[in-house]
Amino acid sequence: MRDTTFTPGRILIYLAVWSLAAAWLVPLAVVMLNSVRTAEEIVQTSMIGWPEHWAWDNYRTAWADFCVAQTCAGIRPYMLNSALVSIPATIISTVFGAVAGYAVSLWRFPGDRWIYGVVTLGLFLPQQMRLLPWTIVLRDVGLINTLTGLVLIHSIQGLSFTTLFCRNYYIAIPRELIGAARIDGAGFFRIFRRIVLPLSPPILIVTVIWQFTHIWNEFLYGVTFTTGQQQPVTAALIALSAAVADVPQHGVQSAAVMIAALPTLLVYLLGGRYFVRGLTAGAVK
Amino acid sequence: MTNLRRRTVLAGTAGLLAVPHQSRAQAVKPRLTVISQWTSGSDGAAITALGKKFEEKGGIWQHSPVPGFTTEMMNKLRAQIMAGDPPACSQLKGPEIAAWSKIAATTDLDAIVAAAGYEKVVAPDLARLHKPGGHWISLPLQIYSTNMLFLSKRAMDKAKADQIPVTWADFNALAAKMKAAGVTYPIANGGTRPDDGQKFEASLAGISPTAYRAAIMNLDETALKGPEVKAAFVQVRKIADWMDPNTAAQHFSTNLKRFVAGDMGMMIQGGWAQGVLLNAGYKLDDFIIAPGPTDNGKPVFLLNADAFIFWQRKEADLQAGQALMAQLVMDPAIQTMYSQITGSIPVRTDVDLSGPGWSDGQRRTAAALKEAVASNQAVLSLAHNMAQQNGVTAAMIDVITEYVKDKTITPDEAASRLNEAVEGSH
Repeated sequence: MRDTTFTPGRILIYLAVWSLAAAWLVPLAVVMLNSVRTAEEIVQTSMIGWPEHWAWDNYRTAWADFCVAQTCAGIRPYMLNSALVSIPATIISTVFGAVAGYAVSLWRFPGDRWIYGVVTLGLFLPQQMRLLPWTIVLRDVGLINTLTGLVLIHSIQGLSFTTLFCRNYYIAIPRELIGAARIDGAGFFRIFRRIVLPLSPPILIVTVIWQFTHIWNEFLYGVTFTTGQQQPVTAALIALSAAVADVPQHGVQSAAVMIAALPTLLVYLLGGRYFVRGLTAGAVK
Repeated sequence: MTNLRRRTVLAGTAGLLAVPHQSRAQAVKPRLTVISQWTSGSDGAAITALGKKFEEKGGIWQHSPVPGFTTEMMNKLRAQIMAGDPPACSQLKGPEIAAWSKIAATTDLDAIVAAAGYEKVVAPDLARLHKPGGHWISLPLQIYSTNMLFLSKRAMDKAKADQIPVTWADFNALAAKMKAAGVTYPIANGGTRPDDGQKFEASLAGISPTAYRAAIMNLDETALKGPEVKAAFVQVRKIADWMDPNTAAQHFSTNLKRFVAGDMGMMIQGGWAQGVLLNAGYKLDDFIIAPGPTDNGKPVFLLNADAFIFWQRKEADLQAGQALMAQLVMDPAIQTMYSQITGSIPVRTDVDLSGPGWSDGQRRTAAALKEAVASNQAVLSLAHNMAQQNGVTAAMIDVITEYVKDKTITPDEAASRLNEAVEGSH
């Protein structure tokens, strides 16, 4: 049932919500408009403005033409690199996070709380602090400057989030359900597969959105632990922006940003309605 | 060890230069792994062109650009060093060269530099930066001055002014005249930290290069508390009062339109601003370029130089690559090519800039450098990380940038804060 009466209070709420939404959307609008303006036009008029003539070419340049050092292939190869890291790392961290969350929420074993605490501790360590330890690990396992190395990093670091989310979700499953299944002779993994997993889609979608967005947008590890052609898309985006001695290429850069944002946007649109629902699950216990 | 290494490098060099065809069969093919942050625009084009030259000489060029700011490149460099795989050559500048050379072993380039007779054509302060511990381990590649004065032709016309200001008094008089004639903001400026830092360093070095060297480069306490530093803050306040206050964190190019249109009058910027103006579609006769104001009338040159540091590698092909790279970087023809792409000036003071590939701005900058070196007025830029290591620089720029934006801070307070920042950070 939807309430469609407009009381003054309701109008006020809508006004507040709409103006907040507008404030959030203005930067996006500026980027969208700039993505079809030439760099020259932007410098000669203003950062914010309506395109004088539509420079759709920016998208072609961004996708396939602009140069990062001696490679002039646009954003395309870097999008592929990001996908090759984000997809496996998202799947691995979600699967392991679900199992770990299930174990610490529905099973009791010595040190279970400690394990949960230590795993989630990862949430509180700043990225920069973990940079050198990861350097040593990647060096020792021989994965420095490889995409596999990045998958390893993001899979393991993602566990902190995914374990936390899944544990908070699974804690709502009645313990009796598990007890009954054990009496019927089901083991750890059978209970997970038959009982817990079918209840999981909302939280799994949340962790997938969360992990994918974070890994896709990650820059520091991406730029430190890869080299040249293997760099992720965030590195290619920054490559368009840094030079102090050049006219900033706001046009092509904006187009590239729009393209690079598509995959995360898509994932969010597909799973978005589960997002808030899953995120707040278990929050009011 | 050092001798042996130097000999290997020399042998590689001799092999390459003297008898290239005979030796190439037996000798290794020179290879170079390079890390830099130069990825796009003219910087990217220039290093790609350098790589092509390297390949033309028979080398294998392996450049891994690290997009972003210096921090990212440093992270990458640190990771590579820890992994035991430092690049044969990487971009690094200023006092960071000395700091990083303590972290990992570097290659001694003394023999190659001496053979090229290079030291006598490089500004002395610059040479010192690239040979910490007395040995050349790095080579400067190109120079920018951070204190060039750009005048808007239309603003000059509005103010009916035709004299290029020489001293700070001239500069202030012209700004006041422009303001009176209806130029909204006599100074065009961005709002980034280096932008603010440049206003301060240009002021202090213009008032007294000696005080600049003592206070900023040598962190001498007496000089930091001296009258020149206070006078510099007074000048910075004047500049700040003439600037558009609504430029927080923006690139200086945001204001180019208003600068060219005569709505803003003057710009104290690095020499690179010329290239930015031209690339943005403006013409050379829209603006005038002159050396920054100096109270003693002789040009003061605030040096910003990009450089390469060479990391020690045991592989023969990488060592040969380092030798070849060192020769290329010192080569006047290569420096010419590089600077003509980026708009900088060559490191060598003996390059002839009369040719058609150079602009008047570059010629004037190079002449200013020569004159400044002769009168000992070439100093190292603070705002662009040439004068101090990053930590000290950051602490000092914090004070300056806050002073530019907060007009309740007095020059005296700013000077003592600057002194405290220095004391607290090193």
